[in-house]
Amino acid sequence: MSGITSTTALWYASRATGVVSLILLSAVMIIGMLVNRQGRLPGLPRFAVLGLHRNLSLLAVAFVAVHVLTAVTDSFVSISLAAIVIPFISSYEPLWLGLGAVSLDLMAAVIVTSVLRRHIGRRVWRAVHWLAYASWPVAVVHSIYSSHDMQSGPLLYLGLVCIAAVLGALGWRLIRARTGLPRADRVPQLMADRGLLARAGDR
Amino acid sequence: MSPVIAGATQARQAPAGGGGFPRLLPPPTHLPNPSSPGADLRAYLGLHGPVPYRDSAGALIGEVRAAGLTGRGGAAFPVHRKLEAVAAARPGRAIVVGNAAEGEPASHKDEALLFLAPHLILDGLQLAAEAVGAGRAVLYVRGDLRARTRLDDYLPERDAYGLDRLPVEIVWSPHRFLAGEESALASRVSGGPAVPQFTPPRVFERGVDGRPTLVQNVETLAHLALIARYGPGWFRALGTPDEPGSMLCTLRQASGSVDVAEAAIGTPLATLLDLSAAGAVLVGGYHGAWLPAAQAAGLTLSNAQLRPIGAFTGAGVLAALPTDRCGLIESARVARYLALESAGQCGPCLNGLPSIAAAMAELADNRPHPRVLDDLGRWAGLVEGRGACHHPDGTVRFLRSALRVFGPEIRLHQQGRCSAATARPFLPVPAGPSTEADWS
Repeated sequence: MSGITSTTALWYASRATGVVSLILLSAVMIIGMLVNRQGRLPGLPRFAVLGLHRNLSLLAVAFVAVHVLTAVTDSFVSISLAAIVIPFISSYEPLWLGLGAVSLDLMAAVIVTSVLRRHIGRRVWRAVHWLAYASWPVAVVHSIYSSHDMQSGPLLYLGLVCIAAVLGALGWRLIRARTGLPRADRVPQLMADRGLLARAGDR
Repeated sequence: MSPVIAGATQARQAPAGGGGFPRLLPPPTHLPNPSSPGADLRAYLGLHGPVPYRDSAGALIGEVRAAGLTGRGGAAFPVHRKLEAVAAARPGRAIVVGNAAEGEPASHKDEALLFLAPHLILDGLQLAAEAVGAGRAVLYVRGDLRARTRLDDYLPERDAYGLDRLPVEIVWSPHRFLAGEESALASRVSGGPAVPQFTPPRVFERGVDGRPTLVQNVETLAHLALIARYGPGWFRALGTPDEPGSMLCTLRQASGSVDVAEAAIGTPLATLLDLSAAGAVLVGGYHGAWLPAAQAAGLTLSNAQLRPIGAFTGAGVLAALPTDRCGLIESARVARYLALESAGQCGPCLNGLPSIAAAMAELADNRPHPRVLDDLGRWAGLVEGRGACHHPDGTVRFLRSALRVFGPEIRLHQQGRCSAATARPFLPVPAGPSTEADWS
């Protein structure tokens, strides 16, 4: 294995940002599920969790953008611009890069509809937002198979930790959806938590 | 609580016919008389004449545009634009709803109008329905007003005179702060809970039963009924060129008395409220803003003056806080109420408003934690503009104005003191039996 030189810098940058993107996207998924079921993070007020979800999403977008652009710009392997968005047309690793393109396209739909949320209506936004559950696993498969970095050693463990964390959050989300408070009781419950109501149901 | 009804202080010479001032509230000779059935309607017809139908859809819209009438429910949206939007629907498809949900606890003007001038409202409902070619007319009224308003008597009386071309359905609304929000209203009239819906679609596109729906506050409809009779020029004789006409206000004086009064837009606030015993003035209700009494004394009742300083006329709620009360205690009670009135649908509102209410309660208490002010500022920024409806935004507007206006009081509290001479609550906050899913 050679060291980092000017010719390999972009390649390393692409792989590094790819790894960071995977971590960020996993965090976005987990926090998104927390937001959806009114979960908390230690030290954060409940509704700051939404802000974190948004800001981490933006950060992930930036890392994914660098990941994709460095992969294309790099001359180590040839990846066309079109292959970024059109799945399975890349000459290098068509299947595994294609999955990256699929994941990116789904992600783009989720982000564009979130930016335009005020204008497109809640129903459309929500429907498209569900695509995140498709985009993330595709991105994971792309991460593991498109380079050999993640198939062994510490990066493999990192990938497994991401998968375990998201699956754990998913489990929590599903349980919470079954046991959660009905909508009309949520505010009284929160008010009672803060000592503003003797107990839920009182005023 | 039954507000005393009074005309505004600056009465005008009445022109010939029924178009004098106050315009909406009847002259003392025409107050409702519950003991004599039909008498109110006969007196009303004697004063204002029959419903001036235009016999063609759309005909009235140009006159409303010329009059410059804006919505009196709080948002002051140009009425003709809503009329035009709903009139675009296929004839007979649209629905018109007169909104008297009046969820704002500090407001009594719709209640007063329903009691004193129900036929102006009902005329306006018919005229608006004709203007947009609607096939259904609904009056959406706070359920607890049913006994006082006698709408159940008036509708058959009007039928006897053949006044109403569309039968009027009455839908009783729950007494919740957000029950009159347009999309909550549309949901309730469609048979669902009175909970704000996610927009778009706006109700003028898809509202009640998915049909284009015109929602107008009942005071707006009453103005419309008068414009149809006396014309845009008459309407513009009061008010300012940009904000013509008059509006009903609920005046809560520092002495504790409560009046509903009609005032020309542009009337000095000092004419409407006795500010001599007031420390601060709440303008625009619980989604409105506090102003120092000294600042309010130099302002008039107009959005042109109020909007630049973060306030607005809203639904005409004006309250003069007596100097012996603590603005922070009052604001904390209102913030707690507003948080409890959240529909619990959107994360920022559901989680943010209870946090904000708790912080306000802490601020109203002795020696608040030094971090509370920073928390409030941060949370306010986090919930603003993030809800399906304007509830978080309105709450934040109210809260921010409290922090601005009661800055000296905050410093007192930080020293463990408070300027209040009495703990008796001033602003009305309903103490309902429960917050259980009572949205219908």
